[in-house]
Amino acid sequence: MKTKTLEASAHKQVRVFGGLPMLITAVVIVALLVILPLTGVLSSNTQRYLLKIFLYCCLGSMWNLMSGYTGMTSLGQQSFIGIAGYSLAVMTFTYGASYWAGFAVGGVLGAALALGLSVLLFRMRGMYFAIATWVVAEALKTFFTSWTFVKQGAGMTIKAKPYPSTTEIYMIALVLCVVSLVVIYLLLRSKIGLGLTAMRDDADAASSVGVNIFQSKLLCFVICGFFTALAGGVFYLNKGSIYPSGGFGINWTVSIVFIVIIGGIGTMGGPILGAIIYTVLEEMLASYPGYSNIILGLIAILVILFLPDGILGTLQKKFHFEILSQKRFSKE
Amino acid sequence: MDTDTILSFEHVNAGYGRVQILNDLSFEMKRGEVYGVIGPNGCGKTTMFNALIGLIIPTKGKIAYDGHDVTKTNAAARCKLGIGRTYQVPRPFEGMSVFENVLVASVHGAGHSEKDGRRVALEALKLTELYEKREIRAGELTLLDRKRLEIARALGTEPKLLLLDEVAAGLTEAEVQDVMKMVANLKAAGYSIIWIEHVIQTMVESTDTLMCMSEGHNLLVGEPLEVMNSKLVEEVYLGVEEDE
Repeated sequence: MKTKTLEASAHKQVRVFGGLPMLITAVVIVALLVILPLTGVLSSNTQRYLLKIFLYCCLGSMWNLMSGYTGMTSLGQQSFIGIAGYSLAVMTFTYGASYWAGFAVGGVLGAALALGLSVLLFRMRGMYFAIATWVVAEALKTFFTSWTFVKQGAGMTIKAKPYPSTTEIYMIALVLCVVSLVVIYLLLRSKIGLGLTAMRDDADAASSVGVNIFQSKLLCFVICGFFTALAGGVFYLNKGSIYPSGGFGINWTVSIVFIVIIGGIGTMGGPILGAIIYTVLEEMLASYPGYSNIILGLIAILVILFLPDGILGTLQKKFHFEILSQKRFSKE
Repeated sequence: MDTDTILSFEHVNAGYGRVQILNDLSFEMKRGEVYGVIGPNGCGKTTMFNALIGLIIPTKGKIAYDGHDVTKTNAAARCKLGIGRTYQVPRPFEGMSVFENVLVASVHGAGHSEKDGRRVALEALKLTELYEKREIRAGELTLLDRKRLEIARALGTEPKLLLLDEVAAGLTEAEVQDVMKMVANLKAAGYSIIWIEHVIQTMVESTDTLMCMSEGHNLLVGEPLEVMNSKLVEEVYLGVEEDE
């Protein structure tokens, strides 16, 4: 039975939704997302949901780039988010600078943290890498809880006058989301991306045909650190305050992993779909505080059991198509 | 060194840790020939491959390849010099198409731009008769086609010397014929090929020179049929068989 399906599918080519039609669809969607809030069609509540989707989409896509392509499964994304949140708070509250300066400092520190950690973490693989990233985040949490400059465990507020409206933060989040997706898309379409896709399937074999594993990992880690930090900064601008327990909490990574696994790891569209599903579920379950995590966990288990490639990943395999594909064809 | 010689081992000792496997191994391989290697299990065939691609460094002796002394050169540099290997168990990039698999090798291994890499990749696919299947996901290939892909990917790195590690193992007789045809094509295209195999038919019919290894050294080298028929080889290879 199984061999039969294999033979039948062996002659099916993967269809790709890409090129000009994809570009036009993307431009239309982005244009709508820009115009709708300005015309007042979207309520500020809807804007808040969408804003969350944009940020989760950025966070999920970056984690997917690392775990889905280079095999570096990080459980410490909250390090970048917390650092960025505190950069924003310190720049706006302590130094009275604009939140743009806060974002810039956060992004640079995020990238620098990734660069610094790579020396330490790239000696580890798989589970050891995952645990080490988590340990770093926990260490940062402990450090920030006792650091008087950032008011220890009491947390900090983000100051801006005038404080940006939801629509303004929405626009920043939208731009960040689009830029990060474009960066990932261009990276995967590049020569390095070809090697990354090979690494996704078999890193040792990739290395034996000349793919530079270390260089690829480093690039992905730094890009991931930078954009994850920016998304963290925008999130905390929306939230208004930050505490060490929240900023460096493992919950961040739990959400991100859920988003990517549900949507489809190692695909570009997966984290986008995952971010939408997660945000909708989170809002729906908000009225059942005790049960929400149990239900999310149950959903994750069911998806892993029955759709191991995630929702989009399974659909793509079954129906032989790819969205936002980095596929190369022999004829162009 | 003779310029007609692409590869030579001179009194090489090598092994893993304290276990010495290769024991004073010497042989020479001519440019453009198919050089077969046989020998009973544990005689050091795969260890010889590992020493050749740079996974292990000999403790004694010299390995010369294409005019370079590569005895202590690392694996990545040897790949760049044009030593291409295949894995005994194929390891395709399963989520990528057949074409993309080879493109990775020609872009990253041979250092081409993606545009030039396409040409090299398509050429390799034609030589290995995978051209018609180039857009299929590599994970959906049969064993024979996976072995072809393994070779195509090695060709993508533009080697001069191609190492085949038991590519005929596990295939049906008809498939073995296909592999032999492919090796003949590769030879005609100018590649030098060193081939380890247990399937005797391939060694007799496809190789120009045959070496039989035993206990880490070179027992006998010569015309394939002569080597196969020699008493010496029979003793080490089939020594365990008793007359009835």
